[in-house]
Amino acid sequence: MGKAFDITLVGEFLPQLVQYLGVTLQILAVSTVFGIVIGIAAAIPRLFRIPILSQLVVVYVSFIRGTPILIQLFLIFYGVPALFLLFDIDLTRMDPLYFVMITYSLSNGAVFSEIFRGAIQAIDYGQTEAAYSVGMSDSQTFFRIIIPQAIGIAFPNMANCIISSLKDTSLAFTIGVMDMVGRGETLIASTAHALEVYISLSIIYYIVVLVLEKLFRLFEKRVNRYKPDVVSSA
Amino acid sequence: MTIDIPFMWTAFKEIIKALPVTMMLTLIPLFVGFFIGIVVALIRVYKVKGLLAIANGYVSFLRGTPIIMHVMLIYFGFPLLIDAVAAKLGISVQTQLIPISTFVLTALSLSAGAYLSEVIRSGILSIPKGQVEAAYSVGMNTFQTMVRIILPQALAQSIPNFTNIFVGFLHTSSIAFLVSQKELTGAANIVASTNLKFLEAYIAAGIIYWLVTILVEGLSSLVEKRATSYMRGGVR
Repeated sequence: MGKAFDITLVGEFLPQLVQYLGVTLQILAVSTVFGIVIGIAAAIPRLFRIPILSQLVVVYVSFIRGTPILIQLFLIFYGVPALFLLFDIDLTRMDPLYFVMITYSLSNGAVFSEIFRGAIQAIDYGQTEAAYSVGMSDSQTFFRIIIPQAIGIAFPNMANCIISSLKDTSLAFTIGVMDMVGRGETLIASTAHALEVYISLSIIYYIVVLVLEKLFRLFEKRVNRYKPDVVSSA
Repeated sequence: MTIDIPFMWTAFKEIIKALPVTMMLTLIPLFVGFFIGIVVALIRVYKVKGLLAIANGYVSFLRGTPIIMHVMLIYFGFPLLIDAVAAKLGISVQTQLIPISTFVLTALSLSAGAYLSEVIRSGILSIPKGQVEAAYSVGMNTFQTMVRIILPQALAQSIPNFTNIFVGFLHTSSIAFLVSQKELTGAANIVASTNLKFLEAYIAAGIIYWLVTILVEGLSSLVEKRATSYMRGGVR
């Protein structure tokens, strides 16, 4: 922090940093999509009580929720290449971006699996019985009755998870990914104006979070449109 | 590269020495944040004029930016601020002498305040209005109603949320290593780079975090059972 604080630099840094917003959003998008896939796959053993697999899922979810994302990043960054080296595949030159995507997908997958499980279990069993009574098959009941209602319940939690995972992507630079924060670090190295860089980064993150929140609120209204408005008496 | 299991135990013993630092970086911010949280939550619940906009902005901004940004902003910004104020007042303060952990604790306390205020606010809003009316009808004033009737129920109901925040901040304290704090992750980093055994050190650190998390979750479910025993329904 050798140089004097200069607020005009924020305006100069902002456009340079925004160029790397794409990398951050790319990590977010990939990890959300794979997180949903992993989440569904991990929720099934627990919903249908498949032995062994369901215990494995419990350990997986507990580990992901019990360790910091930073530690998970390091474990994947050093662990996956070590694992592949056993099969004589050298991954040490792989772009760290992929390790970040793997980590956040696994991390989101654990959280999503809990959200999906909770949402499906929250549907009243009477709904299933009603579906059977009008002659629907198992899969029709699941896809036409249970899933649409479960999405409405799961969506707000998923939105929260996606937003917190966006904020977590700010740690990706620790293993050398050139995302927004990574670019910020290089700017600090070249200009020595750390505070201005972090102010610019905070502004970008804040705007993205606000936009995402707005979008999710609109989408949530659409998902829950069949539900009557809850009018509280209080 | 193979995994050196015996070294993991060595690393485990070395890294766990840093647990007190991690606990300090978790507990102090949560303690300070709890009081910030209550004040901010009350401002937002009672819609105090003038302060409401500040409270809303505080919660929204701090919840909308990564915590690492708060740490960095305070870490780089506070010394400048202190220097500027000191220069204006004509006193000499050696900002280099302030320990880095002060900045980390300040930043984490402010973030914890924002997250906890949302937990406390939702807890307060979940208390039925009948409780307030009942308290007023036996002659309590607004302050008594809040302290004796609403807050005890609101806080008891929020225990699962508090646990989530606690675990979240336990994990968040790991970013303090980025400003060279020697807590669990920082210690793991040192053990890893001095022995060039990265995977083993981080596995050991991960296990420590995992054990603490499981312990905290177990304790919280015990506390929750006791604290919410007043509303166990008809069967005792």
